[in-house]
Amino acid sequence: MAVVTPMRRSTAQGSAADAAILTVDDLYVSFQTPGETIVAVDHMSLSVMPGEFLAIIGPSGCGKSTLFNVIGGLLDNYDGEVRVGDERIRGPHPSIGMVFQEESTFPWRSVLDNVAFPLEISGMGKAERLERARHFVSLVGLDGFENRYPAELSGGMRQRVSMARTLASEPKILLMDEPFAALDEQTRLLLGDKVLQIQQELKQTTLLITHNITEAVQLADRILVMTYRPGKEKRIVLVDLPRPRTSEVVGSEAFGRTVAQIWSDLREEASRGMQDSESRALRPGGARHD
Amino acid sequence: MTDVPIARAPGSDRAAYKAARWAPAALGLATLVVFIAGMELIIRIGWLNRFIVPLPSEIALAFERVILEERVIQRFFLTAFECVSAGLLLTVFGVGIGVLLYRWTLLRKATETWVAALAAAPTVLMYPLFLVIFGRNALTIIMMGFVAGLPPAILKTLEGLTGTRKVLINVGRSLNLTEQQMFWKVLLPSALPTIFVGIRLGLIFALINVVGVEFLINFGGLGQLINELAERYDLPATYAAICFVILVSVVFFMAMERVERWLRPAD
Amino acid sequence: MAETGRLRATPAAASAIDPVTLVRIVIIVSVLVIWEGMSRSGLLYRDVVPSLLAIGHALITELSTSGFYGNLGVTAAEIAVSLAIGGMSGIVVGIVLGANRFLGRAYEPYLYYLGPTPKIIFFPVLIMWFGVGPESKVAMGALSCFFPVALSAAAGMRQIDKVLIRVGRSFRLNAWQMAMKIYLPAMRHPMINGVRLGLGVALIGTLLAETKLSNKGIGFLIIQAYSLFDMPRMYALLLILFAISIGANALITRLGHLDAVPKR
Repeated sequence: MAVVTPMRRSTAQGSAADAAILTVDDLYVSFQTPGETIVAVDHMSLSVMPGEFLAIIGPSGCGKSTLFNVIGGLLDNYDGEVRVGDERIRGPHPSIGMVFQEESTFPWRSVLDNVAFPLEISGMGKAERLERARHFVSLVGLDGFENRYPAELSGGMRQRVSMARTLASEPKILLMDEPFAALDEQTRLLLGDKVLQIQQELKQTTLLITHNITEAVQLADRILVMTYRPGKEKRIVLVDLPRPRTSEVVGSEAFGRTVAQIWSDLREEASRGMQDSESRALRPGGARHD
Repeated sequence: MTDVPIARAPGSDRAAYKAARWAPAALGLATLVVFIAGMELIIRIGWLNRFIVPLPSEIALAFERVILEERVIQRFFLTAFECVSAGLLLTVFGVGIGVLLYRWTLLRKATETWVAALAAAPTVLMYPLFLVIFGRNALTIIMMGFVAGLPPAILKTLEGLTGTRKVLINVGRSLNLTEQQMFWKVLLPSALPTIFVGIRLGLIFALINVVGVEFLINFGGLGQLINELAERYDLPATYAAICFVILVSVVFFMAMERVERWLRPAD
Repeated sequence: MAETGRLRATPAAASAIDPVTLVRIVIIVSVLVIWEGMSRSGLLYRDVVPSLLAIGHALITELSTSGFYGNLGVTAAEIAVSLAIGGMSGIVVGIVLGANRFLGRAYEPYLYYLGPTPKIIFFPVLIMWFGVGPESKVAMGALSCFFPVALSAAAGMRQIDKVLIRVGRSFRLNAWQMAMKIYLPAMRHPMINGVRLGLGVALIGTLLAETKLSNKGIGFLIIQAYSLFDMPRMYALLLILFAISIGANALITRLGHLDAVPKR
């Protein structure tokens, strides 16, 4: 059982410590497929505090990607509310920066031009935006690679470029959907270090969607465990590991305990998910893609 | 051919590697040389009638004659001009129509199969029709090249635009790009490699049709040269001219591959 | 999964006419109307744009003349034989070059770079060798279709799952059996595509040769119409030709899809 300790919160906004920067209120999302209605998210609510790192973890098919798309504004067919501060939002909002799971760098632009992209869109002048972009390229540890093209970089480096690009637009909330899913474990851990470092430096509010428990415990202040479809909050776990953190924390006892606790919650949901997809595969028409 | 590594001394390894790389090309070239030499021999002996197949050596001599007497350079430029004109037309209209069809989904659904069917249709057989409409001049030839090269340009433009990776579109959406911005900054750059493939295909079809129609209507540059030499029964020169045109065509094709590779370094 | 997009259900679009069909009808009708308009306007030289009625009449006349079918038969036979000759040799050469990496690297570049060249320019040579009769047309068609078929076969060979080849070897199949039982079935899709391309170019090669020098065949009829300035007839012949060509193309594509595994 995680010990509840008062969390150190940075009030980057300067507002009252209890004002959430992002609120999801009673979210309900369902999809029509030929034959049935699928409820992806079932009356779920959550809030994220300024400067906080919240990880949302759940088995495949639990609706966490739906959650990602709703908060990011790419999906707008839902019941419920999403609020940034007091303002209700629907649709992509400049306060929310999205980092996608897939390869999302623009192959025809150099690293620097990729990172400068959001600034270019908002009309910033060339000199200024390249200057700013350089700062973020350096922040993710890619100094010297400004003029390289994504094809010349490794997968992990490309994800860093995507992250730098999103950070360059200086969003209030950084929203990431399994950004390291395609990378190997060691790269993940090292990039996790980078993310921690950046988040600490920028006091960036971050919402990370993942299925990787180690990653969640390594990076987050709080972890929200989701149930399998229909997605709901199963439990919120406070991560009682000191900050600042590095990937070394992976070896500590507290780390292991927290991971074990989350797994015991997750395992139940994950096996429900597995049974469900197996039974679907046996049905005529085959397994439905998630 | 299995690729089983065999223990060897490093020096001979390098040599063997180099030999292995050039051996196939050498074989190809050697076969060509042997074939030509063989033909020379067979015809000299008399197994093949030299009035049907001229001596390779005669053909080689005819090259010089053809180049000097038949204004090959001017003809080449005329053919090139026709190709370039057809190429420009098919680029502008091919990409333009492709973009249009991308924007107007209904129109695309209605006409896409028609464009694909046109790509497979023997449009060059309309040359007598074009002769009547445009006259026996370069315009007919350019239009024939244009019509032949248009469908692949349209189809590849469409393919490139619709094939834009979903995640890149989502990046654009997450940044609230306007439709214009989305098109110029995400869709078009992403589609450019495929569009170039379409233009290259179009150019190739255009070239084939330009030279072919030149031959058929006896007007123009290199294609017409072959026709004229054949009607004069100057066999060695006809063969030489055909070889020359093949050479030009191959060089053109290779050059375009180079250009495309230069434009798409990411690949 | 970060897939996004229109995940909500589309209400059943059960309107009376499918909008796509509607657009097609509108396009066709507009073209026909504009055509007829141009034809009657007298803006263009005489019969360059004949009236639809004239074309229709020529079409019916053509299709009811036995002479037409005689010529159609000649052309069809020429195409069939040229496809057989060029196709067979193309498949054999392609299989050999595809199976053997060394030979492939030695000779395939020649096929690859010679492929996209205008073959019709060889016609004078073919006339010298085969005379002015149908043989030279067949030769033209065969020469044209040899290249795409060979290249498709070679590429098709290379995309065969290597394990299937090992299975064949393990049963000690001879070359013929390998080709019939392993290679050809395993590469039927690229092969069908290659044959489709081959048919297209064989058709073009044969017909162009007919237009240049012949006294039989559809190509000959087209040139005859040209020289007599019988425009309605030329349009009719071209329409018939295009219809047959597109139809054959579609047929082969259909045949190619016949054994596709239904999508889950």
